[in-house]
Amino acid sequence: MRKKNKRARQIRLFLFFGLLLTLFIIMLVSMVSRQEFNAPQKLALEVIGTAQYGMTVATGSLNNVWRNYTALINVREENARLREELRKNKAVNNEYREAVATNVRLAKLLEMKETLPPPTLTAEIIGVDPSQWFKTIIINRGSSDGVQTGMPVVTVEGVVGQVTNTSPHFAKILLAIDPNSALDGLVQKTRVQGIIKGGGAGFHMEYVLKNNEVEKGDLIVTSGIGGIFPKGVPIGTVSKVEKAGRGMFQVIEIEPAVDFSQLEHLIIVMKKDPLVK
Amino acid sequence: MVLSFLVLAGAILLILQTTLLHFLPEWFGRPNLLFLFIVFLGTSLDIYKGAVLALLFGLIMDIFSGVFLGLHPVIFLVLFFVLQILSRRLAINESIHQIPLVALSYLFTASSIFIFTSVLTPENRLYWAWGNEILQGLILSVICIPFFNFFHWLTTVFDSNSKKANNHCRRQKTGNRYRMQ
Repeated sequence: MRKKNKRARQIRLFLFFGLLLTLFIIMLVSMVSRQEFNAPQKLALEVIGTAQYGMTVATGSLNNVWRNYTALINVREENARLREELRKNKAVNNEYREAVATNVRLAKLLEMKETLPPPTLTAEIIGVDPSQWFKTIIINRGSSDGVQTGMPVVTVEGVVGQVTNTSPHFAKILLAIDPNSALDGLVQKTRVQGIIKGGGAGFHMEYVLKNNEVEKGDLIVTSGIGGIFPKGVPIGTVSKVEKAGRGMFQVIEIEPAVDFSQLEHLIIVMKKDPLVK
Repeated sequence: MVLSFLVLAGAILLILQTTLLHFLPEWFGRPNLLFLFIVFLGTSLDIYKGAVLALLFGLIMDIFSGVFLGLHPVIFLVLFFVLQILSRRLAINESIHQIPLVALSYLFTASSIFIFTSVLTPENRLYWAWGNEILQGLILSVICIPFFNFFHWLTTVFDSNSKKANNHCRRQKTGNRYRMQ
């Protein structure tokens, strides 16, 4: 009897460690290989995403009722209208600044071809990453709407992130402030290039040499390199520059142009065959 | 019946966490309800059913959190088995003992995620903030007792036969006085 119990215990221990080892290997393999959702994962995203969407709509409605009850309607409407107008004007102003800078620099050197901008699609956020380590969101647009992995996501204020996974009606976006996010950017004024990496709450600009001029308050925009993000989309503003004693590069911190805590609606740039999948 | 209920309960907790709790202010901490649920499974359910549920919720968590597929199933399963071993050897089923258990479990989970991602992708470093971790641990410690009591009550309600359920879904009772009644 004792021998049987001991044997059973050994088998359980063996199974337990074997299962853990197998899962660890699966995790390692999945981490170094493609990170796309398989069919069961897409199905789970569809099911739970639908419930998330319902919950978001319900809470949004209750939120609106509460807001209308507690605020003066006229003042609120005017405020919303003026904010929208200001946002549009900021975006237009930034486009003009970028266009002037590009035009002056390239007009006599390059042949510029006119290209039509890619179509866009609006989306609503229905779910947020439950973990505090990662910054991802779920939106109510999917592959049936033409959304593909790798498509950039922006708002009128600036860069938001990139589509990482899709299901027929929902998609997962990796926010640009996630530590696993990296995009190519440049200083609008001096055209100094660097890699913008997410830092949880803001960005860091890396690989900028110490002899490059970067000042606090400089606007950082996308460079367009890689063909993922359109050129000139605001990323943020330099908030801190440190030229530490050792090393070749400066330490630059960037305040995001987009308020990630207030995100509700997004714009997906429907680029054909996005490079990053 | 109990398994179906637990799967549904876990899904509801995940939906609440990704939608409603997001409206809470950031300084409040936004408690990780699914993590508490895994701790509940680890201390209350038998090993086979609990392991399946922990693995399932780990896989679901991968869909809605992070970019590494496989991270959460492994961490949830390891946590589940550690809790199972602890609950067999220590008197952690008393309410007062569950507070430090939850806090330490959360620290273990957070450390595991941090270590795994730092080792596997060192170029994409996560930022460890002691303030946030301690706040989250404290919030989870405070809400763990009513949370566990609520789910104990719910599982008892959904058990078709409470005597059978005590033997079937929960661990086999022994003469040990520290076993949960």
